[in-house]
Amino acid sequence: MPLSLHPDLGSQLINLCSMLLLLTTFAIVAQRRLSACVDLFALQSLFLAVTAAVVAWFTDSPHIYIAALLTIAIKTVTIPMILKKVIERVNVKREIEFVINIPPSLLICGALVILAFSVTEPIAKLGFLLTRDSLAIALAIVLIGFFMMIARKKAVTQIVGFLMMENGLFLGATASAYGMPLIVELGVFFDVLVAALIIGVYTHRLQDTFDSVDTTKLTGLKE
Amino acid sequence: MSGVALLLAAPPLAALLSLWLRAPGTLHAVTLAAMAATVGGAIAVAARLLNGGPFLAYYDLVSVDGLTVFVLLIMTVIGLMFALYSRPYLDHYMALGVITPKRISRYYCLFHLFMFAMTAAVLANSLGLLWVAIEGTTLATTFLINFFKRRESLEAGWKYLILCSVGIALALFGTVLMYSSSVRALGEVSGALNVTELLRIAGQLDPQIVKLAFVFILVGYGTKIGLAPMHTWVPDAYSEAPAPVSAMLAGVLETVAVYAVLRCKTVVDAVAAPGYAGTLFILFGFVSFAIAAFFLLLQRDVKRLFAYSSIEHMGIAAIGFGAGGVGTLGALWHLLGHALAKSLAFFAAGNVRMRFGTREIGRIRGLIHVQPVTALALVVATLALVGLPPFALFVSEVSVLSALSAQVYTGDTFHLGHFLTITIADGVRNLALVALFLVVSLVAFGGLMYRVMGMVWGTPSDEIRQGETWGRGHAVLALSGGLLVIAGVMMPQVIHRVMELAVMTVTPAGR
Repeated sequence: MPLSLHPDLGSQLINLCSMLLLLTTFAIVAQRRLSACVDLFALQSLFLAVTAAVVAWFTDSPHIYIAALLTIAIKTVTIPMILKKVIERVNVKREIEFVINIPPSLLICGALVILAFSVTEPIAKLGFLLTRDSLAIALAIVLIGFFMMIARKKAVTQIVGFLMMENGLFLGATASAYGMPLIVELGVFFDVLVAALIIGVYTHRLQDTFDSVDTTKLTGLKE
Repeated sequence: MSGVALLLAAPPLAALLSLWLRAPGTLHAVTLAAMAATVGGAIAVAARLLNGGPFLAYYDLVSVDGLTVFVLLIMTVIGLMFALYSRPYLDHYMALGVITPKRISRYYCLFHLFMFAMTAAVLANSLGLLWVAIEGTTLATTFLINFFKRRESLEAGWKYLILCSVGIALALFGTVLMYSSSVRALGEVSGALNVTELLRIAGQLDPQIVKLAFVFILVGYGTKIGLAPMHTWVPDAYSEAPAPVSAMLAGVLETVAVYAVLRCKTVVDAVAAPGYAGTLFILFGFVSFAIAAFFLLLQRDVKRLFAYSSIEHMGIAAIGFGAGGVGTLGALWHLLGHALAKSLAFFAAGNVRMRFGTREIGRIRGLIHVQPVTALALVVATLALVGLPPFALFVSEVSVLSALSAQVYTGDTFHLGHFLTITIADGVRNLALVALFLVVSLVAFGGLMYRVMGMVWGTPSDEIRQGETWGRGHAVLALSGGLLVIAGVMMPQVIHRVMELAVMTVTPAGR
């Protein structure tokens, strides 16, 4: 350990960061404006990078710093920029459309958090790391991202849901295993970036073809 | 140049060339050459495996064993047929003015990236890189699915991208869990996600974590396989994609996704009690099998029909792998037979579509008069798909069935089965499963035969031109059909040996 800090401090810092991540997740779910949603996602990614950096500091594993820097470059800067462009291009000034309204959404998300904690409980009991509760929070973020993809109509909000899932996964990897091997992480970053680009292109095509990015209008294919 | 290098270099090189080249003739030639090179690469790798056993390469990043070679052979052979068939197919649509030469270059570029991602997935030793490559296949194929840019194909491509990305995100969570348990045993080393390492230290992995990981992985990659209830993208994507792409998706991509789950299954079987992963496989297998068989009865679109048949067959393969024993060999055989039969079926369906201008089963009549060769191919593929002898799928279904009847349940079973295991004896339970299997097979048989025979016989309407001249597309049908028959009647000794090695990979001796 590079500094003689109390090891509990690391654990607490990481828990704090994870909680901030979860908080931004709830903020995104509760958000009505699309561009604010994207901003909050950028903020969440920033917290994620900070979490990774804290883990890197306390475990003395420099490769996590690379992952943290990449998170900032890709998830807080590049992807939000792409999404903003998409929003501008498809001109969705209107508020986010809901399949499920905000208050029940938040209640469901709360339930998902409880679910995540109960699913990971047998693993947390084995706890060996500084980051015991983070795995549960990571799963919670993944589940909430999943929920958001179901509960929101606009293609852009579905992308945000997908990216939130990715953030949750990244937190899980950092928390439970101090990050994946570097080559795997590079691959995952690459995939996420390409996925965001492709979804952006799709949004354009949806707008051009259906004159809307409301995915509930995609009902041509049925039994 | 080693086989592995050839396999990994040819597709990306061809992808680059496709971006740069514009003349359709050259593009076809480049694709054909690249696919021939990958077949050569696969044969070279197979030869090395048969002579020297499993091996690692490139700093342990690449691992080759029986299962790898088995999937590689399926993949490259069908890739070659894709290259052969794409030419007449694209020529047809270019003549109609639907597509431009620029689109053809993009089509081939995406196809080669798709091939590269699949090759990388199969060769990767690390579960993490396996995941990256499988996600890569999704990204490469989504624009191939909406190649024709119709409204419906846009919807199909979007659905495919979103469902598969989400599904596969769950698989990544499973992979992360797997990694966390291995890091505890190994410490932080770059090889901690390598299958070879995981198997070596299986005794030190935590069964709780690995079991939880496997549930996420099975659901995740299961989406990609098209196992019910995550199958909803399959009929949309297969029906909207160009016929050669449908053949690749159904014949190869599904096989690669099954491969990904099998890799993880070997680890779980080594860590947890045997039967844990198997029971999950059987559960998902039966659900897919049954749902798809009944949906087969409802189909009015020829490509959707074959898509549901794919879901059904993946269900059967999952049941075989779940039952274990002779079922593993049967399931592998099933994957091979299905890949050949289904690609033949989609090639034939492509020909039908080009002539009739529709995929609607009700509007296709008298195929035997209109396109006799295509009709023959369609009948051969269908007979193979419903599992009639002498085709490979007959043998494999019988093996799966016998494995299912011989199952003994030990150790921990799936939670839902808890009540059943207490009250119902193994024999009764096996009998019930076998009976269910037979009934569902019968339904699938009826559904597929009824629909296809309706297209083949009857009198065609006068507007459709009758008779077909021999062309490039038919050479593919002959090649594909020939391989299908060979696989059923007289499987070459070499392939048999590869399959035995593959079985040993999936169920290592002693377990």
